[in-house]
Amino acid sequence: MSELIDAITNIREDEVLRIVRHRLKVGQDPVGLLDECRAGMAIVGERYQTGEYFLGELIMSGEIFKQAMSLIEPKLAGDTRIETIGQMVMGTVKGDIHSIGKDVAAGLLRMSGFEVLDLGVDVAPEAFVEKLVDSGAPILGMSGLITPSFESMKNTVDAIEKKGIRDRVKVIIGGGIVIEQVRHYVGADAFTRDGAEGVKICKEFIRKADR
Amino acid sequence: MQGIHKEGRQVIQETMTSWERVQAAINVEIPDRVPVLPMQTYYFACRYKGLDGYQMVKERERAVRAHLEVYDELGGFDGQVIPGISFVFPRRISGIIAEPLYKVPGVDLPRDSVLQHDEREILLPEDYDLIADLGWNAFAEKYYGKFNPRPASKILQWGERQTARYVDDIKVWNEHGVPVYKGGEVFSPLMFFSMFRTLQQFTFDLYRRPDRVEAAMDALVEDFIQDAIEEVRLTGRTWVMLVLERGGCFYYPLKIFERFEWKYIKKMTEAWVKQGITPLLHLDQDWTLNLPYFQDLPRGCICEFDSCTDMFQAKEILAGKQCIMGDVRASLQTHGTPEEVQEYCAQLIDVVGKGGGFILSSGCFVPVDAKFENVKAMIDCAKTHLPAQ
Repeated sequence: MSELIDAITNIREDEVLRIVRHRLKVGQDPVGLLDECRAGMAIVGERYQTGEYFLGELIMSGEIFKQAMSLIEPKLAGDTRIETIGQMVMGTVKGDIHSIGKDVAAGLLRMSGFEVLDLGVDVAPEAFVEKLVDSGAPILGMSGLITPSFESMKNTVDAIEKKGIRDRVKVIIGGGIVIEQVRHYVGADAFTRDGAEGVKICKEFIRKADR
Repeated sequence: MQGIHKEGRQVIQETMTSWERVQAAINVEIPDRVPVLPMQTYYFACRYKGLDGYQMVKERERAVRAHLEVYDELGGFDGQVIPGISFVFPRRISGIIAEPLYKVPGVDLPRDSVLQHDEREILLPEDYDLIADLGWNAFAEKYYGKFNPRPASKILQWGERQTARYVDDIKVWNEHGVPVYKGGEVFSPLMFFSMFRTLQQFTFDLYRRPDRVEAAMDALVEDFIQDAIEEVRLTGRTWVMLVLERGGCFYYPLKIFERFEWKYIKKMTEAWVKQGITPLLHLDQDWTLNLPYFQDLPRGCICEFDSCTDMFQAKEILAGKQCIMGDVRASLQTHGTPEEVQEYCAQLIDVVGKGGGFILSSGCFVPVDAKFENVKAMIDCAKTHLPAQ
């Protein structure tokens, strides 16, 4: 494990930034640095999944990754070697302004290589549809903490069907209180109460779509 | 056993009043049947009676009437934890501004929405030092404008009106023959800073400036203890809701819990129990890994879970020591069937209710769009199902 990966996985903010600055200064390949940062974040994600780490570590490591990226990204402009697993549209549905669950899931997905198009909170069905059409993203993730959000999720799925793109968009819903009956009611393809599990499900969506 | 429930199940013969039944559960004794206290039925009752979110907040008389009618239509239960939607405030500005900021239906949100907390970065990192130096009350007196732009006199008047309404609501229920339990409500220091710094910023603080966070918590915890005691005195009710969510194992490892949450929970609950107060630990999200610590809470607390914590593990760990309350999941109330609710409640009564120390309840509040028949199924189950021997 490199010094940088070790510093990321053990949530040592100052050390990560010092290493990244130094390596960029001596002309190290930014794509290699990015790969190391991602490798570190993948380990953080694994530790979260196994119960060794908690949400706090995810939030803090996400902040460290973001700061490292702000140093690395300017050196990456136009580099075609950067790849993402896939795109997805995300948001907290209309009538619900809670963002924590959505932000956690989005952070985990980004760490795993997804490009997340985050529409924020209180997102109307039409806004989701518009972004799915514009981006061509194959996955929609909808979040909600309060029970009235289920109706908004259903309305969004209905709007996607009406637009004629349901067959190319996989829908996953998330939130602390969603259960199978809610997934069925909403008409989603999957549900999760766990961000790490959500990443696995989204990767599976992409894997099946690539077949 | 006595009487036949209209669905055909026998109604358990009651030999205790609701108050006695609930108190037996708090004392971890075996009551005549498991008490049932759905949490905050106000929003659900109003929606069921056709009131929208705006009317729930602004048309108080109609809303109170709806609440009473639905209580009766549900066949009654063992009391109201919270009598309405008003708050109680000690008569000083530091107590009032500590309350969360809400988005109001029909004002900030669509008319048919529900009240929602607007989490914003109100406090800044430098405020930790000011609070540590001044203490919470003096800080709040000086800087209340961070929380609320209105003049202090208006904030105090608002607090007095809220408290008066809360006391009125208690009276209404008592006249209806229904006990009300909660007299006060405060956040833990961790919950407070997490809400007013935001979860994300507060988490950064725990890593970047932990000593300053701890110093501020040390400085304000005594004020929060006294606020709750004052609220209990104002209302004449004996329960204090300690609002907890952000300090459990869903959010942080145990080393953070121990330093920034547990020691304050212990201090607060011990102080209140000494005063004859029942601390209701409102434990939203997952606290399963934290459960062993709760064995050391003073006797006489209630650990109330919202369906994210494993209730059966809670029973294994806390049996004979603490009263457990919960936890019919909100989505089961909205999208489940009465049979599913009945089945889950019977399982809770059989396992968590065995040997006493259990109050059947909704997981957190009854959702605004719960199905009436599902809420009723929860209540009826407590009235008809004895714990398995």
